[in-house]
Amino acid sequence: MTLALQASGITKRFPGVLANDQVDFDLAKGEIHALLGENGAGKSTLVNILYGLYQPDEGQVAINGQPTRVASPHDAIAQGIGMVHQHFMLVPPLTVVENIILGYESVTRGTKMFGQMSVLDRRTAAQHIRALSQQYGLEIDPDAYVRDLPVGAQQRVEIVKALYRQADILILDEPTAVLTPQEADDLFVIMRGLAQQGKSIIFITHKLREVFAVADRISVMRAGRMVGSAKPADATSESLAAMMVGRDVILQIDKAEAHPGQPVLRVENLSVMDDRHHVMVNGVSFEVCAGEILGVAGVQGNGQTELAEALTGLRRVADGKISILDHDVTHATPRQITEASVAHVPEDRQKHGLVLTFPVRDNLVLCSYYRTPYAHGVEIDYSRIEQTAADLIHTFDVRTPGMATAVGSLSGGNQQKVIVARELARPVKLVIASQPTRGLDVGSIEFIHQRIVQARDRGAAVLLISAELDEILSLSDRIAVMYKGRILDTLDAKSATRQICGMLMAGVVQY
Amino acid sequence: MKTETKRAVNAYTFSRIWNSAFLMPLLALLTALVLGALVIWVSSGSFLTVIDAYSGLVRGALFKERGLSESLVATIPYVLLSLAVAVGFKAGLFNIGVEGQFYIGAICAAWAGQVTDQLPAVIHLPFTLLSGALGGAIWAAVPGYLKARTGAHEVITTIMLNYVSFRFVEYAVSGPLRDLQSSAVQTPHVSASAELWSVAAIPERLQDPLNALAVAMCCGLVAFLVARVIRRRRERLALARPVTYTIGRGKPARAPSFFTRHSSLVAAVVTTALVFVALPVLVRLWWPFTDPYDRLHIGLLLALVAAVAIWWLLWKTTIGFELRTVGANPNAARYAGMNITRNVVLAMAISGALAGVAGTVEVLGVSICRCLPMFFSSGYGFDSIAIALLANNNPFGILGVSFLFGAMRNGADLMELNSGVSKYVISLIQALILLFTSAPVIMRWVFRVRVDRKAQEGPLTRGWGGSA
Repeated sequence: MTLALQASGITKRFPGVLANDQVDFDLAKGEIHALLGENGAGKSTLVNILYGLYQPDEGQVAINGQPTRVASPHDAIAQGIGMVHQHFMLVPPLTVVENIILGYESVTRGTKMFGQMSVLDRRTAAQHIRALSQQYGLEIDPDAYVRDLPVGAQQRVEIVKALYRQADILILDEPTAVLTPQEADDLFVIMRGLAQQGKSIIFITHKLREVFAVADRISVMRAGRMVGSAKPADATSESLAAMMVGRDVILQIDKAEAHPGQPVLRVENLSVMDDRHHVMVNGVSFEVCAGEILGVAGVQGNGQTELAEALTGLRRVADGKISILDHDVTHATPRQITEASVAHVPEDRQKHGLVLTFPVRDNLVLCSYYRTPYAHGVEIDYSRIEQTAADLIHTFDVRTPGMATAVGSLSGGNQQKVIVARELARPVKLVIASQPTRGLDVGSIEFIHQRIVQARDRGAAVLLISAELDEILSLSDRIAVMYKGRILDTLDAKSATRQICGMLMAGVVQY
Repeated sequence: MKTETKRAVNAYTFSRIWNSAFLMPLLALLTALVLGALVIWVSSGSFLTVIDAYSGLVRGALFKERGLSESLVATIPYVLLSLAVAVGFKAGLFNIGVEGQFYIGAICAAWAGQVTDQLPAVIHLPFTLLSGALGGAIWAAVPGYLKARTGAHEVITTIMLNYVSFRFVEYAVSGPLRDLQSSAVQTPHVSASAELWSVAAIPERLQDPLNALAVAMCCGLVAFLVARVIRRRRERLALARPVTYTIGRGKPARAPSFFTRHSSLVAAVVTTALVFVALPVLVRLWWPFTDPYDRLHIGLLLALVAAVAIWWLLWKTTIGFELRTVGANPNAARYAGMNITRNVVLAMAISGALAGVAGTVEVLGVSICRCLPMFFSSGYGFDSIAIALLANNNPFGILGVSFLFGAMRNGADLMELNSGVSKYVISLIQALILLFTSAPVIMRWVFRVRVDRKAQEGPLTRGWGGSA
């Protein structure tokens, strides 16, 4: 078996992030190799390096056994690598032919009258495109305008575009994210056909079902490292799920027995849609009581993000009811929910949780700047804010040069501590924590875990949403597993094991 | 040891502030002047022309008769308009329509100023200023609302509204608001009660006891605020000091007297009374500004007050905190429970109100006829965008930069007269200043200035994708 592509020892650093750490990857001729991993695991970085968008800090790439350097996407195309991006790179007002030949136009010699000018040869191109689409079973109309095509057809245009440029290696970056299940199945048929005719395919996804449907080989990435590789026949959903979300260092938390009290958060038949109007949370019901931690486990993208946003007023609720301490907050604003003594540690700390250009001091009062004692009327009393900030920086061990330092210049762990300090220092009755330790160092993780358990012991109800199965297992008192927008089962933490959770996360209900 | 560290910290803070706030603009100014000199030299063929031009510029701006006054007169609208731009920038909005809001403010003031002559100045003048501010605020709030609700980009909508406002003002001046007694196409003179007092007229104005009382009360208000700031500072120091408790027969603390408890109120009352009694007499006995052709007017104080007020609003109030948060990270603002729509509309309204006041000031204080003439062209609005950028949106920086621009605008005439160099060279120099300020990379490269990573700021405004 000859290798179409081989990458070894690829390392790529971004400021503060090790995106790829000594990654080895290879692709055989005519193979569909699935690259599996959570968001932020380093899959995209890896394929962007292969496609020449990034240069690796370390490591080599070889194509067809020849060591090479992919300097740019243009270079990648010249070496037979084509990529279909998650967000299509098409020009909607142009036709399919025009889009496909863009940058690689075939021309006929201009007439005398036009001097040096050449004439675009659409006809030959269209013929070539028809031939290609017939050969690989990619049904497209070369003369249609791209803006009129459905998403699935646009994707076929992208694939034909890569083939037109004589790609032998195709990189498909989360191709199914924008497709309906039916369209996805059609795509898999096309992928099989391409592979049979000798094309090699790298298929990026984080959906387990899909790798079993189409892949010849599966590699799993986590936190920038390649953690395992398997044939579909040898792998199970649960083993892959565990590989995707597992953590090398299993942290043990000392926590006392939970003493659940009255229900604080009650969710009934909640349905939430994402920005593209796909139902992401589908009729979910649960309760969180005072003094307990309910962990929501699940592979990223099964509705957890939308659930947290709906609970905190950031996303509109499509159907169902949310109540906190028997007050209906289904359609409450974020401010009303905060005022109902709810702390929210948001999933994306830089997008929602912090104003990076603001000083640490201001970020510590981001949700309470308008209340006494920080403000009298409209006037802010900065001396009070500074007192509080000094206090919080000390008790939450935020490592910062000073409270006037812009929060954006702190490390990720300290940024998260600023958020946790702000949210948990208030007298809260409900804590909603989404991925509270994602991307942090071990020390910060431990610190934040302790604070969450402390909040529980002081009588707060805690809803912990995490894709880290180990985090869920070590912190939670009860565990709800989400899959495709539904809670498949709620387990008692004592009886839950990695295996059971892993199977549920993969959508397997019988165990 | 401790003082040493403190001194080191102070020195560090100083150098950082110096680097981020002053060094780059100064270098930009210097480079622009040098390049401007080169242009003059090359185009005239003689280096002497450069000296003539720049000396004429300085003389015209500062030293000729009424030179400084005229520079200050031009500074006033610059200050108000660039504050308007800065408020927008701080909330992540690029209000490129200040020129249009300036026009709307001017026409509203021209209407309100002449609508009656029965009111005393203490009512008519504030009423006219408010009309101008309100006109500008409403005019600017519309694109703010469109931005917040539909995502229509404010750069496009405000710049289009500029043309609407120009044409609207032309219509109003030549139609419903036209002064039929005058041969020129202009609005009627505003009543004397609505005029902004020129400095020469102040002694005469203060003879009216109502005016004197109003001025005295303004002074009293300032005294009140100053006293409050002093008291706050003292309280904060007390707060920082460790508290010691006396138990048992300790000497009871002296109960605070009425005067210490209400120190700011006392200060206000005393100041008001003193000013009311003394000022009219004093200005009658001695007043330095006697030139009746001196156009400098009390709008200057208005501009200074506006700068302090905007600084206070942006940095010391919850309103400013919200505006700046929405500008810096709208997602976090929403998470923190702030109302994005309200803040965007509010920012635009404040911005428009300031621009409207600038237009009002031009009508009530500067124009010879104290009215709005048909061909009322200013160009102040577009310069102000440059000023706000150059001053890094700092209200106090704006005061300085506005004076620089006002002086250049005013000195340009004498420069032309002195050296034959076209006064549009000033626009060239101003454009170069702006270019170098907005492209600090060039300046850092030319002058080899280190990048201070901590001083880096986020993007000034959001692009098309800004989800508000």
